[in-house]
Amino acid sequence: MKTLIQVDHLTYQHPGAAEKQAPALKDISFTIEEGEFVALVGANGSGKTTLARHLNALFTPTSGNVLVDGNNTREPRLHQQIRANVGMVFQHPEDQIVATIVEEDVAFGPENLCHLPAVIRSEVDQALKIVNMGENRRRQPHLLSAGQMQRVALAGVLAMQPRCIIFDETTAMLDPAGRRDVLNRMADLNRMGMTILFITHFMEEVSLARRVLLLNQGSLAFDGTPQELFANVALINDSGLDRPAAARLLEAFPSLFPGIKTASADLNPLLEAIPVYTGIAQPLPILAVQGPGNLPNEIEIRDLSHIYMAGTPLAQQSLISVSMEVKKGIPHGLVGATGSGKSTLLQHLNGLYLPQHGSIKVGPYDLNSPEVNVKGLRQYAGLVFQNPELYFFEQYVGDEIAFGPRAHKESDIRESVKWAMNLVGLDFDAFKDRITSTLSGGEQRKVALAAALASHPTLLILDEPTAGLDPRSRRNLLSNLKQLEGEGTQAIFSSHNMDDIAEMVQNITILSKGSSLVSLPVYEAFTDREMLLGAGLEQPSAVRFAQALRYRGWPISRSAVTLKAVADEIRRAMDGATHE
Amino acid sequence: MSEFEFLPSATIGQYIPTGSILHRIDPRAKLVGFGLLMLAITFSTSKIGIGVGLAAVILGVILSRVPLKYALKGLIPPLPFMIFIAILQFFFYPNPGTSILFILGPVVLSTAGILSGILIVLRFFTLILAISLMSFVTSTSELIQGLQKLLAPLNRLGIQTMDFVMVIQVTLKFIPFLAQSAERIAKAQASRGAEWGVKTRSLMTRVRQIIPLIIPLFTTSLRRAETMALAMDARAYGFKTNRTSMFEYKFSWRDGLFVLVLSATAAAILFI
Repeated sequence: MKTLIQVDHLTYQHPGAAEKQAPALKDISFTIEEGEFVALVGANGSGKTTLARHLNALFTPTSGNVLVDGNNTREPRLHQQIRANVGMVFQHPEDQIVATIVEEDVAFGPENLCHLPAVIRSEVDQALKIVNMGENRRRQPHLLSAGQMQRVALAGVLAMQPRCIIFDETTAMLDPAGRRDVLNRMADLNRMGMTILFITHFMEEVSLARRVLLLNQGSLAFDGTPQELFANVALINDSGLDRPAAARLLEAFPSLFPGIKTASADLNPLLEAIPVYTGIAQPLPILAVQGPGNLPNEIEIRDLSHIYMAGTPLAQQSLISVSMEVKKGIPHGLVGATGSGKSTLLQHLNGLYLPQHGSIKVGPYDLNSPEVNVKGLRQYAGLVFQNPELYFFEQYVGDEIAFGPRAHKESDIRESVKWAMNLVGLDFDAFKDRITSTLSGGEQRKVALAAALASHPTLLILDEPTAGLDPRSRRNLLSNLKQLEGEGTQAIFSSHNMDDIAEMVQNITILSKGSSLVSLPVYEAFTDREMLLGAGLEQPSAVRFAQALRYRGWPISRSAVTLKAVADEIRRAMDGATHE
Repeated sequence: MSEFEFLPSATIGQYIPTGSILHRIDPRAKLVGFGLLMLAITFSTSKIGIGVGLAAVILGVILSRVPLKYALKGLIPPLPFMIFIAILQFFFYPNPGTSILFILGPVVLSTAGILSGILIVLRFFTLILAISLMSFVTSTSELIQGLQKLLAPLNRLGIQTMDFVMVIQVTLKFIPFLAQSAERIAKAQASRGAEWGVKTRSLMTRVRQIIPLIIPLFTTSLRRAETMALAMDARAYGFKTNRTSMFEYKFSWRDGLFVLVLSATAAAILFI
């Protein structure tokens, strides 16, 4: 095989960084052959993106060399050829779209390469066909869903006919269906001979690749197959990552999966290997019944509809007669694919939008009443936006968090800020004067959460709080939220990550294309695979595992929806089997 | 309409693909035609001329199949300025002439002043509508290709026209983005207690809440510009001075006719 990319003792220091600061990349060497399928993993801030940007000459090394097809990235005159060979799809789809019409954006690359009009036309047509966006060719990119935009971005790269494509956390912002779509396309392209390098911190995705590179604080800590990586528990934990559910299960219960020795990320072989339960049939643990059924409603939504940009040619129906109830004190989840209307619905709950049609009651506030105290409602129901770091408007962490207490004219602003930062685990003195844009992804989420908490809300509304976070930051955030819940702050939580939902909430409402399909206790919704798939979602691995166990006669209750709960019940059942 | 929707008021720079006859005109023809029209509206001194211009632009909007009501919405944001300028003209018109209505010290209200005030407002309205109409029917990259072709002769004089053209393209692309950023910041501030979207507000609070939007708007725009530049670099932008285009434009009789009609209108606006 031919070497496509050669990285030789690459060290990189961000321009303007202080001398004593550790370099962003430290002495990295590896090669990628033509046709390889490589995953690049690491926690937020480990240098993945910086490394990727060296591979198509967006950045050039401080020392060492990067050769693409023999061309050194230090030579500016070779950059055009390097970028024609190595294309890149970025994390935020809207940042990489240049033109105002889909097909014109796809044509941007080939136009830069000075292809002839007829050639460009056929390249564009073909690229749009590969990503299935032919029908949307004349639409405006900013009106597409995130998943569709990401496909347009991919088409824009494909049209340049590159030999290698780098996917920079392309799936981080997508829902399960969108994610599967991108992953399948990567695999298809690789089968057609394209070299693929993709960045991710989802270990489940890693096993798609045949080779993994792991970055830990700027150093290349691992280069090998996914199976070898999954076996190296210490390294994974040290790098702030998580092993896939399948690998963790195999380690915890080797006797459950006879014949399977090596860990992979694929759950299916494990599920098939589960033996029939031979223990004594014992009564199923009783479902945790959630209090009396007549809890008061904290939130009541009836028949809510919403149209964006009503009365313009760009009008777009976002919510169609949505109804849902949230019981007081019961954490509630809102799930649905991207574009299903979750964010719009959540922004109604704190009065950013008032009902155009239908009615909403939140706690003591009736949003249909003409005298509703919107400001009071917004203090009552604090909102953390999706990608909250895009919503920061102050330069310093302290000011960002103090905005709420200041606006509500609290007497001791400093105390409120300190209290909120303390709750989310940010040290007041160490962080109050930091600049928001220089924090890591996980720290930025904490700031956003503290900013909402500083106004002492009764309800906390969270829109996709874990999207884009690495496993360690995600765990920290979820445990913060659990602690808050223990202290009496009720959470309303939207996510397309079903594992988050399983861990955090008791009841969920499923949204699909702007309508509310159904509101159910979590364990009921998660056992209905068809319905989840229909809404563009998927079952959490714990639930699939529990179902496979039940199918073979294991006494696992339906209320076990997290890996921990399932594991506890397996241990119980195994005890039953040994006491036989 | 929600207070957080900044986009609909930005009708300028919004391309609306309805596939009308105006959409299919060669971009070079559109640039020349609309350019002449706008120049004529700017420099015309006659009331009838401006009237002709307004009529022509409204006819254009109807031909473009974009709802007239939507096009007119773009006139609302600059309305306060227009009224302000009109009032200045009413009272401080330098040549009041003979038909004076009343005098109070230096303030003179005259028929001529009122007419000139109305004329100025009409002129601005017609111009704004003309610019909106052009953006409704011309996609950014059409505009860019048109400009590039029209300016190409300058390349021979050693002037880098491509960068100039790209500056315009990116500026246009940033208009919806600015609206989106403003929406995000306003929402973030509102949900933490700023006065956005609260029903009872004085004019002063309305003005005051705009100010904290401005600096974050700058910083987010800069950050966004940086990522976009990176994405453009990644797609091999900036190596050749003459980019090619997916679209081949053939200047047909219809395009010629379009330029002729608009030149005639421009002449009418100037000389009637």
